[in-house]
Amino acid sequence: MKRMSKSGIAYVAFNAAVLAFLVAPLAIVFVFAFDSSPFIHFPPTGFTLGWFEKFLTGSGFLKSFVLSLQVAAGTVALSAVLGTGAALALARGTIPGSAVLVSVLLSPLMLPAILSGFAMFQLLVSADFGRPVWALVLGHTVVAAPYVLRTTLAVLVDFDRRIEEAAAVFGASPTRVFFEVTLPLIRPGAVAGSVFAFITSFDQFPISLFLAAPGRETLPIVMFNYMKFELDGALAAASVVSIVLAVCVVYTLDRTVGLRATTKI
Amino acid sequence: MLRLSDKVQTRISPVAWLAGPLFLLFLVCFVMPFCAMLVLSATAGNPFLDAQWTFTTAHYAKITADSLYVEALGETLWIGLVTTVTALGLGYPLAHLLARARTKTAYAVLLSAVVAPMLTGLVVRTFAWMTLLSDAGVVNSLLLQLGLISKPLPLMYNEFGVVVALVHIYLPFMVLTLAGVIGQIDERVEEAARLHGASPVRCFFEVTLPLSLPGVLAGSLLVFALAISAYVTPYLMGGRRVLTLPMLIYQQVAESFDMGFAAALGAVMLAVSLGLIFAYNTTLAKLVDRGKPA
Repeated sequence: MKRMSKSGIAYVAFNAAVLAFLVAPLAIVFVFAFDSSPFIHFPPTGFTLGWFEKFLTGSGFLKSFVLSLQVAAGTVALSAVLGTGAALALARGTIPGSAVLVSVLLSPLMLPAILSGFAMFQLLVSADFGRPVWALVLGHTVVAAPYVLRTTLAVLVDFDRRIEEAAAVFGASPTRVFFEVTLPLIRPGAVAGSVFAFITSFDQFPISLFLAAPGRETLPIVMFNYMKFELDGALAAASVVSIVLAVCVVYTLDRTVGLRATTKI
Repeated sequence: MLRLSDKVQTRISPVAWLAGPLFLLFLVCFVMPFCAMLVLSATAGNPFLDAQWTFTTAHYAKITADSLYVEALGETLWIGLVTTVTALGLGYPLAHLLARARTKTAYAVLLSAVVAPMLTGLVVRTFAWMTLLSDAGVVNSLLLQLGLISKPLPLMYNEFGVVVALVHIYLPFMVLTLAGVIGQIDERVEEAARLHGASPVRCFFEVTLPLSLPGVLAGSLLVFALAISAYVTPYLMGGRRVLTLPMLIYQQVAESFDMGFAAALGAVMLAVSLGLIFAYNTTLAKLVDRGKPA
């Protein structure tokens, strides 16, 4: 290897510092989740699992965690069905102006979610619906389904139409072509999009801020309210649970369809 | 062959109806709410609930009447600007490294480090920054123990803390956008400049940077749009000393119960966001055009 120039050393050192800036804050959360001091204190004083116990027993963390998982499950199911359906329609339905329609349906990803949440809240209040859980699921789906649409559409645009045509020529019915050819081919896109939908819903803050009713709040909202007054290891434990869950989900994605599909934003 | 294609296409055309459910959801849960917001921003009394209501411009007039609201808008844009410039400065070299990674492993490691924070929730990341920057946090504790300072530095509950955490949260978007554009630049152009005697620094400023300018613009618009709509981070990192537009909107809803005024603030934010999205899409469209062979 050739000797590095001064600017080359500066380049590597600078990038190492930026990478540390990106990753270190996530690592520090793990330290505080197992530290026995009663409030956030550095350096750590001892080891404890007490914060995870507090996560499981106190302050509504567990209840909100379960609700977050339920809302995320509903959101993923809805997003997967609606997103995949819309992707198929827009790629195969010969709809005039489908390119414009795609960008319109993807626009919830571009507009600030806090505005979408606020607008939905106003409509719910105006229609006198209150804030039921189904509204929270629908609100999450509005910002989650576009991910499924986008990843599935990307796969549909790439793949060779002639595979479907060949199946049709050999006598397969349109239904059979759909279930035995099209669906398996678009599965990677739909799965990747669903994983995004799950993370979007599970970590969702701005929409939930407006749509979650008091006493029925998701984990990020409960953590936020807790953080307004206290900063202790229970939050670190809740953070670790969230991070580990996201890592598991993404790891599963990588095992099933590969991470390449997820690198496009 | 052509006839076969036509036949398949007409046969599966009813597939278009599959877009119906998502379109309906989009209409009811996205378009209608924004229409309701715009209506509420221009009416006194709620036309959906009350029998008596009138059109008014009072909510918009209220924004300009009190310097607090104009200052909050200014503060929001200022924080967005500082966050964007900082993210660009930190993100450009990293995007370059990512785009020019020689081995698969190097690429995978770099990409994981960039994407990992994106998979972590806003609240979790803000919590992490609070443990780092608070008075008893990691940074102040270390500096105190090393004897470099005698009392904790004010790293949080001010604009500085807000910007640091926002940069961390939105840096990955900048890096990924820039890496995509830098990756498209033909490395032979850079090599040619180097062969003709340009130093690496000169090659960067006269070849790589100008060619990646559309990416710089796209990434900056994206980060700016995200940063001005942040709520959690300015709220928690700013203490009560930083007031941004999203915080103001929530405050009007939750504390002042002034829906009409909140809607007017929302409409202002919507206008700013739509302007940014338009600029972003225009920039991206130009990028796509350039990527096509002439």
